[in-house]
Amino acid sequence: MEKSGSIDSLGSKRSSSRQPSVDSLSSTSTSRSDRSAQAKPPFAMSSESVAASAELSPEFRVKPKPAAKQVLRDSDKEEPQLLPNETVQDRAQDVTYFCPFIGALRGTVTVTNYRLFFRCMDREPSFVLDLPLGVVSRVEKIGSASNRGDVSYGLVCKDMRNLRFAHKQMEDTLRKSIFEVLVKFAFPVSNGLQIYAYEYGQVFPENGWKVYDALSEYKRQGIPNESWRITKVNDHYEVCDTYPSTLAVPVNIPDEELKRVAAYRAKGRMPVLSWIHPESQATVARCSQPMVGVNGKRSKEDEKYLQAIMDANAQSHKLFIFDARPSVNAAANKMKGGGYESEDAYQNAELVFLDIHNIHVMRESLRKLKDVVYPNIEDSHWLSNLESTHWLEHIKLILAGALRIADKVESGKTSVVVHCSDGWDRTGQLTSLAMLMLDSYYRTVRGFEVLLEKEWLSFGHRFQLRVGHGDKNHTDADRSPVFVQFIDCVWQLTRQFPAAFEFNEYFLVTILDHLYSCLFGTFLCNSEQQRLKEEIPKRTVSLWSYINSQLEEFTNPFYVNYSNHVLFPVVGLRHLELWVGYYIRWNPRMRPQEPVHQRHKELLAKRAELQKRVDELQREVTNRSASSSSERAGSPTRSITPVQTFV
Amino acid sequence: MFSVKPTKPTFKSYLPPVPTDVKKTIEPPLKKLEPKLLQGEIVVNEVNFVRKCISAESSQDDLWGKLICTNFKVSFIPSEASSKQNSHLSHLLLGEHDIPLACLEQVVTVNDTKGKKKVLGSNQKLKFNPTELILYCKDLRIIRFCFVEAGPESAKKVCLAIAHYSHPADLPLLFGFEYQGRRYHESKGQRVNGATPRGGLQTPIFDRPSDWDREIKRTGASEWRVCSINESYAISPSLPENIVVPVSLTDQDLKQHSIFFMNQRVPHWCWNHPNGSALVRMAGIGDPLQQRRIDQRVFPAITKSHPQRSEVIRSDVDKCLPNIQDIQSAFIKVRQICVIDPFEESEERWLSSIENTRWLEYVRAFLKHSAEMVYLLDGKNTSVILQEEEDRDLNCVVSSLVQLMLDPHYRSLIGFQSLVQKEWVMAGHRFLDRCNHLKKNDKDESPLFMLFLDCVWQMMNQYPAAFEFTEAYLTVLSDSMWIPLFSTFLFNSSKQRAQHLMDFAKNKAIPQGEDQVVYFPPVWEWSQQFSTKDQTLFNNPMYVGKGAACVQNGEVKTFRRTKKTYSSTLRGTPASLRNGLKAGGDSLTRRGSLLSELRPDFSLVKDESPSERFFRDWFSRPADLQGLLIPLLLPSHLALWKLYFLRWVPEACIAKGGPITAYHKLSQLVDEMEILQSQLRQYKGPSPGRTPRPSSSWSLSDQRRMYFKASSPHDPPSPPDFLTSSFPFTPMGNLCRRGGYGTPISKFLNGARIWLSTETLENDGL
Repeated sequence: MEKSGSIDSLGSKRSSSRQPSVDSLSSTSTSRSDRSAQAKPPFAMSSESVAASAELSPEFRVKPKPAAKQVLRDSDKEEPQLLPNETVQDRAQDVTYFCPFIGALRGTVTVTNYRLFFRCMDREPSFVLDLPLGVVSRVEKIGSASNRGDVSYGLVCKDMRNLRFAHKQMEDTLRKSIFEVLVKFAFPVSNGLQIYAYEYGQVFPENGWKVYDALSEYKRQGIPNESWRITKVNDHYEVCDTYPSTLAVPVNIPDEELKRVAAYRAKGRMPVLSWIHPESQATVARCSQPMVGVNGKRSKEDEKYLQAIMDANAQSHKLFIFDARPSVNAAANKMKGGGYESEDAYQNAELVFLDIHNIHVMRESLRKLKDVVYPNIEDSHWLSNLESTHWLEHIKLILAGALRIADKVESGKTSVVVHCSDGWDRTGQLTSLAMLMLDSYYRTVRGFEVLLEKEWLSFGHRFQLRVGHGDKNHTDADRSPVFVQFIDCVWQLTRQFPAAFEFNEYFLVTILDHLYSCLFGTFLCNSEQQRLKEEIPKRTVSLWSYINSQLEEFTNPFYVNYSNHVLFPVVGLRHLELWVGYYIRWNPRMRPQEPVHQRHKELLAKRAELQKRVDELQREVTNRSASSSSERAGSPTRSITPVQTFV
Repeated sequence: MFSVKPTKPTFKSYLPPVPTDVKKTIEPPLKKLEPKLLQGEIVVNEVNFVRKCISAESSQDDLWGKLICTNFKVSFIPSEASSKQNSHLSHLLLGEHDIPLACLEQVVTVNDTKGKKKVLGSNQKLKFNPTELILYCKDLRIIRFCFVEAGPESAKKVCLAIAHYSHPADLPLLFGFEYQGRRYHESKGQRVNGATPRGGLQTPIFDRPSDWDREIKRTGASEWRVCSINESYAISPSLPENIVVPVSLTDQDLKQHSIFFMNQRVPHWCWNHPNGSALVRMAGIGDPLQQRRIDQRVFPAITKSHPQRSEVIRSDVDKCLPNIQDIQSAFIKVRQICVIDPFEESEERWLSSIENTRWLEYVRAFLKHSAEMVYLLDGKNTSVILQEEEDRDLNCVVSSLVQLMLDPHYRSLIGFQSLVQKEWVMAGHRFLDRCNHLKKNDKDESPLFMLFLDCVWQMMNQYPAAFEFTEAYLTVLSDSMWIPLFSTFLFNSSKQRAQHLMDFAKNKAIPQGEDQVVYFPPVWEWSQQFSTKDQTLFNNPMYVGKGAACVQNGEVKTFRRTKKTYSSTLRGTPASLRNGLKAGGDSLTRRGSLLSELRPDFSLVKDESPSERFFRDWFSRPADLQGLLIPLLLPSHLALWKLYFLRWVPEACIAKGGPITAYHKLSQLVDEMEILQSQLRQYKGPSPGRTPRPSSSWSLSDQRRMYFKASSPHDPPSPPDFLTSSFPFTPMGNLCRRGGYGTPISKFLNGARIWLSTETLENDGL
């Protein structure tokens, strides 16, 4: 019996090997749910998903889904689907896009105040490149118009790709090339224009600006309590202009003393509470380096303050200070007035260096990684090339540092203080990763949003400087992929614990895409103070509005909420992988592996259907037996509870 | 008394063990530690007060007990019954601390005080009293015993016995021959009652013409026939008795041609594509002149068997793939860095070390070559002949991978087993030599089958819903190679198998005409090794094939099948596109000075070969898991098979994590679906007029296919604590290198290497 059946399945293979292309088209454009796990580029360079433009526009998604045919017609147009207040600035025909994977493509380029849109109609299906201008890091004219009058432009992007275009030399020399127009809108800040996020104005059912409220987050953690209080000393950002207004500090340190502590810490970033263990009361505190300097300056207030942090935890008579830097770098900082805590000055404190390098090393490492993965991967020496970028080694050191912190707090019941130099790059990476390991709340979608709002945004990770939103100065030494690196670390955790996170890979990729897109206000500015001044919540839309309005796209079907469960990842290189779904996603040969999530969703759908039918029959039985007599022992449907239904 | 140096090493001559003096004098206060012996298994030697080392860091977890060498295994019996975790896979024939002698790779004795170390072989002397015994196993375990408190003489004797008995002098001395003989007679009574053919084994063995006939029918290979010229191995000593050949070739032709082929391995059929193309394999031809003659005579016959009379392409497998020594040395290197080198040390330059082993490169080469063959068969509609000098090694890997990619049947459990049976066991892969069971000739040893399993895993890793079985199954299958109780991995050819089993049957008084499969079963009879419950770990809950959760019930259709013609897969890119490429390409220099960051990406777009176009085309569409399946083969697509290579490494074990946690959730879901389905069936009932009513029983727990059962409201929502990335195995006590290296966490922070320049140092603090 098995044989004949198999011949069948073999024979049918020929006819059934593919879904019709129309089908796949409509599925990418009308619904993301089946692809959510694939980390598909939301603003896609894609020859397959013709309707890529639709994916990009969040506003499109919340509207009723159009029929597949409708989309097809739309996508045949040369224009992108415009967002609210998005306006076409220029359009040019006969532009060549040199796709590193397909080759040269001739088509039309449209530039708006938000995006670059290229469409090549020669191909079937037509080719679309839809790129928010925010990802453009630099635009350069390449070569002179020597060759047959072509002018060529290169675009270096922040998201691991380079694009190259060419068009005929303008006959009217006064007319601007479309790429000169593009430069203007790609770098609005440098050109006195407004970042598109201020104009977008889409209304979502959810308001992402309400996701984080410092007081309720501290309350969730049980703060204030007998040892910790909320202080308003920084209410007007007078003590520290890069810190949030709401801070949690030890109860017995009055505000006046806090100011003196702040004076001893770089940029006034005094130690404050990030997280408290619900049982042991061991805490994670963060700060910047002490201003020790070459003369070994000390501060009684600071010493007392750290003692107070230690005393707030009755379980341990020790305090660990984790300095994220390599010890040489920490020592070198003394020359510039900084430094690290000497163990003489801080009784009962143990200082540990975590050997994580600075933003410049990280920037260089990612640049090397881009060389290795884009556009193509060399056929040989892949692993040693990858090793030579040191990217995974940096990831390892960061995760290892966070693991040590989590281990001290969880297993050692000891409070820790974390800092680097200024406490807004490496420190944020470490505290947020440790919190992710320690507290399952942060592994939910909303919890993770809170974590980002708290440890990154409110504590002044300088997103504007690190990303350089709308700024043409691409060589700015302040730029660095610190946040990307953090998200990479989170992804590594999700790989090791596939059931421990409520969000999926697509969620992480979406966050990174909108880190650059300038569509949402979330990652604009450098600090809470600046965001307040710019009225960001009033004038822009939060990324969380978009995400929380369609959570299903971003949820991991394997998620099992195991609360009070600490994750201890293995941070050996054996278990660290290159995040192919992000760094190599532009390469069509790097098609995502068959998504397990998709299969899981199909199973869930079928389970729901089965359950429904069983329930119907059950009702029928109940009705009948009620009319006759009831002698049922137990209802079968009761014996099974759905595991969790997402569909 | 047992003599340490028996004159003639043989298992047969052993009498029941003489109790040693150690046992008499020291034992009384202890409770008796008895080994669990199989039928026909005897204790050769034993020693008490042995410490089994559990962790390299400290001795606090070490177990005390008795170390025993039998004619089958090395067994350790802890004096205190360990809190046995039922959560792990438990073997029916081997205890938690047992190692089959055939699994031993190296037996090393050490005397720490004297600073001496010796690798023990058969029949050797040992001039020092060992303080430690380290067993390096073929399944990558490293097990360490400490003799400091044990009787030195007894310890020495056990070590020598282990070394000696792990080097059997002859094949029939492997324990399987003893065991299966006894088992046959003891279980005879039960068999008669429930007499099913071949003991209920569903996997075709391909030792009979009927199995081949069915395969010919299944694949629609109407122009091929089963031929029995090799009956009684009259023509070729390594081919099976039945082979499949083109209808147009007569027995006479074949006999004539056979003399030119190495080992007389004439072209024999493996598989047919629905389009009529055939996959054929054959040995090399010594004389180049004859090669042409054969090409002219045999190829037309194969062409004739193709419905479109399409040409035949011969692929010289030797020329484009690594040889067996390359593969062996790559495997040794991977093993070295995965399990033997201290974790911290190998962690240093992990990626380049992995690259330097070349293992993944070889895995990729085999997958790539097989994919090329798939293109020829499927895309180009031609028949393919795989030619390898001996046709017994690389051809096994390539032919089975090609079939795995093309035919979803082989991605089912039974199909996969039949594939191994057909392309490895019956095709005459020299398992005995390649496994080196007799440890006689190290040069012949090569983990080809392991390489194949790794290739399968790579495909499974890329298409997790396409295979009915799991990576746990593949791992368990690889482990079975080192348990010499099953006929599958013991022989070099079917001729050798037939001869040995005939002698065996005679010696063990097994009636003539009894089925080999019954008296010396293949590994496919998994119930010999694992309980029904444990065997469910082989089932992949995501599988979309026949019998899977989604297609089981015809009424719920999830997978839509739509028509698509084959010809469209060969659609080319429009010519205009290529012109455009050339126009733009030459005007730009590589690495322009203006923009060093901008690489001239497009210059890398080269003209595609037809096969590249075929693959690109295939990859541009969503994969049909029940159709053709091509692995992604960029170097970045290949991964180290962690479950296999790292399962014993304690430092690499992710507690409460790993892919198994997702498997757990899926498994529960599918189990729940199956319960619902059975409920539905019960509601519908056999008599339609009856009131639908559930009978009380879906205690179909015995037949449930999933290892993890649907959770009930009483269960905690979290996955069980015992799930680790090593599950269903455990590193506990299975990998114990010498020396301590601090606590695991501190290992990861032994100082960052200095690659930063002084410039970056200055900038620190920005």
